[in-house]
Amino acid sequence: MTVPLTIDGLAVEGENGDTVLTAARKAGIKIPSLCASPHLKPYGGCRLCLCHVEGQAGLPAACTTPVRDGMRVRTDSEIVNRHRRNILELFLSEQADGGLGASEPLLALSRQFGLGAVRYREPEKRAAPVDASNPYFAFDPAKCIVCARCVRVCDEVQGTFALSLAGRGFGTRVIAGNDVGYAASNCVSCGACVKECPTDALFEKAMAEFGRPASATRTTCTYCGVGCQFDAGVRAGRIVQMAPVDESPVNAGHACMKGRFAWDYLYAPDRLTTPLVRKDSQWIETSWEDALSILAERFGRIREVHGPDALAVISSSRGTNEENYLISKFVRCVLGTNNIDNCARVCHSATVTGMMEAFGASAATNSMDSIEHARLIMVVGANPTEAHPVLGARIKRAARRGTPLIVVDPRTIELTKYAALHLRLRPGTNVALLNGLGHVIVTEGLTDRAFIESRTEQYEDWVETVRPCTPEATERLTGVPADLIRQAARLYAESGASMCIHGLGVTEHKFGSHGVIALCDLALATGNVGRIGTGINPLRGQNNVQGSCDVGSMPTYFSGYQRLDDPDLRALHETVTGRPLPQKRGLKIPDMWDAALAGTLKGLWIVGYDVAQTDPNLKKVREALGRLEFLVVQDLFMSETAKYAHMVLPGAAFVEKDGTYTNLERRVQRVRKVVDPPAGILPDWRVFCEVATRMGYPMRYDHPSQVMEEIARLTPTMRGITYERLDREPGLQWPVPDAGHPGTSIMHQERFPRGKAQFIGVDYLPPGEEPTADYPFVLITGRILEHYCSGAQTRRTRIMEIVDQDALEIHPDDARKLGVRGGQRVKIVSARSETVMPVTVSARVAPGQLFASFHFPENNLNTLLSSSADEASKCPEYKVSTVRLEKIKRAVS
Amino acid sequence: MMGRLYLSQDTSARAVGAERLARVWAKVPGLELVRTSSRGAIFLEPLVEMDGPHGRIGWPNAGERDLPGILQGENGTPIERIPYLAKQTRVTFANAGVTRPLSLDDYRTHGGFQGLEAALRLTPQKIVEEVTVSKLRGRGGAAYPVGLKWQAALETHADQKYVVANADEGDAGTYCDRMIMEGEPFRLIEGMLIAAYAVGATEGYIYCRYEYPVAARLLRDAIALLTEAGYLGDEALGSQARGGGRFTLEVFVGAGSYVCGEETALLQSLEGKRGMVQAKPPYPAVSGLYGKPTLISNVLTFATIPAILARGGAWHASLGTEQSKGTIPLQIGGRVKQPGLVEVPFGLTLNEAIEEFGGGMAAGARFKAVQVGGPLGSLFTKSGLTIPICYDAFSRAGAILGHGGIVVFDQETDMVELARHFMAFTADESCGKCTPCRVGAVRAREILDGIGLGRRRPGDLELLADLGETMKAASLCALGQRAPYPVLTAIEHFRKEFQ
Repeated sequence: MTVPLTIDGLAVEGENGDTVLTAARKAGIKIPSLCASPHLKPYGGCRLCLCHVEGQAGLPAACTTPVRDGMRVRTDSEIVNRHRRNILELFLSEQADGGLGASEPLLALSRQFGLGAVRYREPEKRAAPVDASNPYFAFDPAKCIVCARCVRVCDEVQGTFALSLAGRGFGTRVIAGNDVGYAASNCVSCGACVKECPTDALFEKAMAEFGRPASATRTTCTYCGVGCQFDAGVRAGRIVQMAPVDESPVNAGHACMKGRFAWDYLYAPDRLTTPLVRKDSQWIETSWEDALSILAERFGRIREVHGPDALAVISSSRGTNEENYLISKFVRCVLGTNNIDNCARVCHSATVTGMMEAFGASAATNSMDSIEHARLIMVVGANPTEAHPVLGARIKRAARRGTPLIVVDPRTIELTKYAALHLRLRPGTNVALLNGLGHVIVTEGLTDRAFIESRTEQYEDWVETVRPCTPEATERLTGVPADLIRQAARLYAESGASMCIHGLGVTEHKFGSHGVIALCDLALATGNVGRIGTGINPLRGQNNVQGSCDVGSMPTYFSGYQRLDDPDLRALHETVTGRPLPQKRGLKIPDMWDAALAGTLKGLWIVGYDVAQTDPNLKKVREALGRLEFLVVQDLFMSETAKYAHMVLPGAAFVEKDGTYTNLERRVQRVRKVVDPPAGILPDWRVFCEVATRMGYPMRYDHPSQVMEEIARLTPTMRGITYERLDREPGLQWPVPDAGHPGTSIMHQERFPRGKAQFIGVDYLPPGEEPTADYPFVLITGRILEHYCSGAQTRRTRIMEIVDQDALEIHPDDARKLGVRGGQRVKIVSARSETVMPVTVSARVAPGQLFASFHFPENNLNTLLSSSADEASKCPEYKVSTVRLEKIKRAVS
Repeated sequence: MMGRLYLSQDTSARAVGAERLARVWAKVPGLELVRTSSRGAIFLEPLVEMDGPHGRIGWPNAGERDLPGILQGENGTPIERIPYLAKQTRVTFANAGVTRPLSLDDYRTHGGFQGLEAALRLTPQKIVEEVTVSKLRGRGGAAYPVGLKWQAALETHADQKYVVANADEGDAGTYCDRMIMEGEPFRLIEGMLIAAYAVGATEGYIYCRYEYPVAARLLRDAIALLTEAGYLGDEALGSQARGGGRFTLEVFVGAGSYVCGEETALLQSLEGKRGMVQAKPPYPAVSGLYGKPTLISNVLTFATIPAILARGGAWHASLGTEQSKGTIPLQIGGRVKQPGLVEVPFGLTLNEAIEEFGGGMAAGARFKAVQVGGPLGSLFTKSGLTIPICYDAFSRAGAILGHGGIVVFDQETDMVELARHFMAFTADESCGKCTPCRVGAVRAREILDGIGLGRRRPGDLELLADLGETMKAASLCALGQRAPYPVLTAIEHFRKEFQ
């Protein structure tokens, strides 16, 4: 509802909830203010925005005065400006050098209001040293004006509560933690405080060193699937800042430690800049011309001698849609095989399989804004405050507003603190638990009959499956008390809008795709699909897991999840590419290792994916890599995998090329070239074209936008996507069936791609390994906030000052039994291998369980893991391995 | 049996030796010593009383050795003939000095719970109307019409509402809240119960200042007694309560911050947060404690409610002046002869208060100035004493009645030091949120420091005046807005001392 009012004689349309200040800003009327922020609740601290309101006594602050119908406001008068001058004088009086030491924004305001010299003589100041303990930013209390925007944004937006005001009156000051400095506090370095600071008291060290940005280019972050938008600030050809974009519907000005600051790896001294070819055990620097020719020649020879299926490519879900499409095209049109896969195989392939079967589409059904509309949020096997921090903060905000939260996780995570219920199940028992919830929903009559009738099929199949899964039986399998199972089922079924968010704790299991299906079943049974605030929403781990699968970088589907044997597609493909679409399904990544070991796979090209560190059962993977006749690795750095390669090609980083990524809510967003790559480096898409051309299939594109045109032509769900639109709109959420279509925020509102959704009863089956006397512990692996996947990027940043090693979490009871203390190193032994890691003693893990992060290759953590994987999708069982711990007797020197 | 004596257990009596008397006399065989509340005539404490044929007889300023005489009934003064007490109109303090603070029997036999019983016969809306008709205004200092506040809290729908008593009585020279809490805690709680029933609140808190440990202890004891007696707890209001019977009450002790007497800062503190003033709206009656409708009022306001319900709003509205109805307990202190608490209808002049009740200046003291309304109140000189004590006249004079504190200064008072002291007080107590108060108070204090040390510089007084205007106009709450008044009125009346 609009609220008409008059500000400085101008008719202004405010809205309910507007203050005079926000209404004025929308109307382009400038009122001076330092403590107000569009991201924060009204505060009323600085008092610069005083104004006159007709009929009201005194001078109310515009920032805390709600708009009223017919209100008449004057923001400018001699009296108001006199007070503003006096307030600015008070601000300057607490700054260094008689006010001259103040920050530029404060000095500019002072000039604007005609403030002369500060009249106060020898005014007291708050003396405190600069806190430079955070690796990326520093706090200079001398420039602070105690507006508390930093404190408030940490509370209201990030929800970390790391900052507070201490002291009273003039002694009031900002402290981190219990006044221990930023580094020792619980600060998560999201940088929100730095962005809010109106006086540069909080400032970024990179800008202090290299200067403020002279220009900025908008682009998309690569540190997870959320897809935060950033303005990359550049000065003298160097990135000096990544500033989160306020207008983005994805992150609305927020960011996390990695996206905001951890781009310093771009300038790491060990970045690869020249193609390398192995000669005996030596790397020989080679020209691009020679390298590309050798690659084309070797691949060509293998194809000739052993046939197309002796070649394969593993693409990167960190790469752009265009790159993923192009390398898939190279595999299909040049090599003539479907041996193309990407790293989504090891994270969300089970989601792809499960959701395709149940709904006929493999993607989040809803958008992130559903978090604001959900009446219940169920987070299953995901730790978003660590792995998807901007989304995690959004869930915390919803929980603090009162949205009930159910957390299903074997570990205690930050979100469990906010949860109405924490279902702490035994690792590997997702299906059992979800079926137990289903049992309660069915037996207590909590299903949505109308939805089931009109939108689904095979309901009875599922009912038969969950019938024996009583809460008591479920408790025996999962360890979750029957009463909690009942409560959770009722909450989920009866909220009116339940949103399910899941992560790799669902997928990375022996029956990961069954876990996804069981989630879909619950949503279907309760009508929680196709509406805002509901749905099944996988959190994509890497930035373009969604997109790389969407554009067909998979052995089983073509772009847009089109069947390879679709006759219409086959015809269109031939028209567009001039080559037939290979029909036979290709090798999935784990199949490739088997094929290499069997000697049938000879040549492999791996783009931006460190399989030798991150795949399970590393001994086997490394052995397979060693058997290859020709291995090409394309990466930013000399990765573990690159060490096995015959040729290494340097890659361009995300800020060095154009393209698009698709985030976890199906939003295709632009990635823009901000700076040039280090001298001579070709962006990946150019490399693919060059090799294809050398192999007799000219691929010529002037710009990735032309690649997108081709993707759109071949992909019905992306037909309406163009760079022209992406530059104009805040990304486009597929399906976008035509140029006039606005994109799809919520899928399946009217119908499912497969018509009706399908209930699929999935019985609980035990994980690949269960604890034994020899291997009594269950090891779970996963990410931590500070590092990203293989760590190739984050290990080359100043985040190393915060976390520089992986650790093994162990429950205090187990630690006591074993006789180890925090920081001590223990030997971890599995049936495959053994390794050594330092322990962290924490009740976050349950007794009998261990958790380890996997960001540092020296631990060889994944050598412990088996090759066990989801039957249907081959998604590895990263989340359950059995191990034993051995105390290391003597300190290793 | 030798007899029964009455002696106040109020902190003000203990401060002048009541506890020592009690200790010594406890050993006297056959002597029954009844510890009561205080009559508020602090200049008479320790005041020992005995039942007489026509009411109590008192021995002011009693000492240990006076006991034999007292027991003989020698030289006692009938309490009702002490002019200081006889001239007052005691409503809220009607039982002061008479009853035992924690005796429910005493409370009942002296009119206790009549207001509550009357309220329970009415609908919530009717109760609010009665309060509206009474024209009661908030006694904490802001003088907001209480009926409007109750109406807003009643009309706001919520799953949870709260009633909070502001017992953070921080103004120097005021103690009427403490005297109620130490003297007749049931009256405060009865008022809160009526309020809770009227607006539909089920939980209440008394936010008691850290410096009142005795009051906090007595309140907790009183709550325990009332819970046991069924007035508080899950079935507090019995079946008569149509709005639901639950009402629980808890005492919360602050941490020594003056600004937590400001209601929004108080509620923040009660939530466990830093006591920072919040911008209004939203007002607490709509969104207060934990974002729920919260009826927050001063102790004295709640303590006035039982009488209004028992005797009717119209009765209350018949007392006082046009805009200020009912009675006000003045707390007269400083260099007067008879410091103490005086409950009178609004309307007598400041001069009458000082002369008739204060008894004029203490021996050897000459009147210099008087400050009304605590450390943020304006100073008056002789010429200003004709002002009637009521909200409207004070407001017209740019002054405040505040919590009814009147402090009289004599010729010995250094006005520069006094002004500096008040500004230093604000600088110390500022919550640190708004600039005019956070920085302005320190700058003003620094200037006054300089003047006090004889280092006045040209322009200082002009700068003080200019800064003062900005503090008045631009501060977020009354602390910053009122802080300049004592200083600027001191300069106005005693300019020479500042030059």
